[in-house]
Amino acid sequence: MSDLCWTSMTDLAQMVAARKVSPVEIVQAHLGRISALDGQIKSYITVTGEAALASAKAAEAAVQSGAELGPLHGVPMGLKDLYCTKGVKTTGGSKILADWAPDEDATVVTRLAAAGAISLGKLNMHEFAYGPEGLNPHYGTPWNPWDATVHRICGGSSSGSGASVAAGICPGALGSDTGGSIRLPSALCGLTGIKPTYGRVSRAGVLPLAWSMDHVGPMCRSAADCALMLAAMAGYDPRDSTTSVLPVPDYAAALTGQVKGLRIGLLRAFFLDSAGAQQRAAVEAAAKALEGQGATVEMVDLDMVKLAPAASHAVLAPEAYAYHEQWLKTRAAEYGADVRERLRVGAFVTGAEYLKGQRLRSLLKAEVDAALAKLDVLMAPSTAIDAPPVGQTEVRIGSETVPVRASLIRFTRPFNLTGHPAASTPCGFTTDGLPMGMQIIGRPFDEATVLRVADAYQRITDWHTRRPPLAA
Amino acid sequence: MEKLTVDSLRTLARAQGLELDDTELASLLPLVEAGRNGIAAMGDIPPHVEPSSQFRQL
Repeated sequence: MSDLCWTSMTDLAQMVAARKVSPVEIVQAHLGRISALDGQIKSYITVTGEAALASAKAAEAAVQSGAELGPLHGVPMGLKDLYCTKGVKTTGGSKILADWAPDEDATVVTRLAAAGAISLGKLNMHEFAYGPEGLNPHYGTPWNPWDATVHRICGGSSSGSGASVAAGICPGALGSDTGGSIRLPSALCGLTGIKPTYGRVSRAGVLPLAWSMDHVGPMCRSAADCALMLAAMAGYDPRDSTTSVLPVPDYAAALTGQVKGLRIGLLRAFFLDSAGAQQRAAVEAAAKALEGQGATVEMVDLDMVKLAPAASHAVLAPEAYAYHEQWLKTRAAEYGADVRERLRVGAFVTGAEYLKGQRLRSLLKAEVDAALAKLDVLMAPSTAIDAPPVGQTEVRIGSETVPVRASLIRFTRPFNLTGHPAASTPCGFTTDGLPMGMQIIGRPFDEATVLRVADAYQRITDWHTRRPPLAA
Repeated sequence: MEKLTVDSLRTLARAQGLELDDTELASLLPLVEAGRNGIAAMGDIPPHVEPSSQFRQL
């Protein structure tokens, strides 16, 4: 097994630029690993090996010629299979779009290619991104690499992105996040992922789940790699009217390792109070560790957040139904049973209920903004639980039995409603050896501080460097 | 709020152009009920609160 498959994107880019390794070697190493492992892990729906090798050879030639190189020159990555790719199948994890090849790339795909990144292929996901477990009845459910014997969920909907990066099958990937779909698989697979502020990154050419709650972002093995990818993706896009013209800061330069003087709010009610004991202890320990680096930590309660599940339903369900309405009437049998049923529920939300959800969002956003007026970031567990086995629908938290789905998205979806940037970083392992994640939530368009805190924490811990048993 | 039944849900579904059989309607019913109850439990939102718009001109 090549160490190239465990080398960070940041280091790979530097090694390519310094002519220490060829992009062809890097791509070949990853394609070899896909062949060796992905039969079981099922992280890819489509592997674009020939195209990746051709791009790698062109990238090698550019290095040899002394051409100016982009920040990701020669570095491979994977794309969740809802990013449109010109001439390459984009299934959305569905049977309905099984043979659809778009005629243009998503904006972020174009931007990453312009930065020199090389796509290895399209990654598995929960069908049409509508599920936090990351299940898929059409292409197989990805296997969480952190348990070699029991088939556990990766978290979703970006389950293939989580599995592939955790297994060293690609060094970084694009996910998308409507209720937690970047942060959940990042947490359950031991990765770092960031959902940027709504409007920071273009959604043009990305299959929607719910337009007003969808966010796109990177999933990597470190905060530094997320900074590298995000910098290449972010910024105004005339193809997406919701993108901001605010300038994109230098995220890598923001990673100073310093948190001295930073004010951190630890979210207590609804978050820490309803997390599993190990998740709570891990996040509290992380807060202590950051306090030891000079940050100040105080407990914070958000009153409106208890209404977030209902508001999320009121907004997400009808938006998703609106996108799928025609297919639900003509091709319903082609959906997986869980997604078909979930989509149909959206038909019964009234216009007044939808707007009630949107109005609740205003209150929730104002409450989070008020908390962040006095604090630099908020912190909370990413999930209440670790990765359960595929098919398990309930889980114990303390003395309560709760649904797996609700436990997965409880802590993440409030920030899809508010649009604040939120990252998940590894913060420990359960007694079963499964990863746990911690959320860091920042002010609108302040991804730099979110990433700075995640990176500073990663400089004093080694959770993010550990390798799963399935991929050792 | 009036409690939904399979028959009333069928009427609502047909109004949307969805033809669902009894098994599908029975399966959907508790999910739709739970969603409606959750939204109702949000209570009254002050009249001055406008719907959130993430659409920015920045």
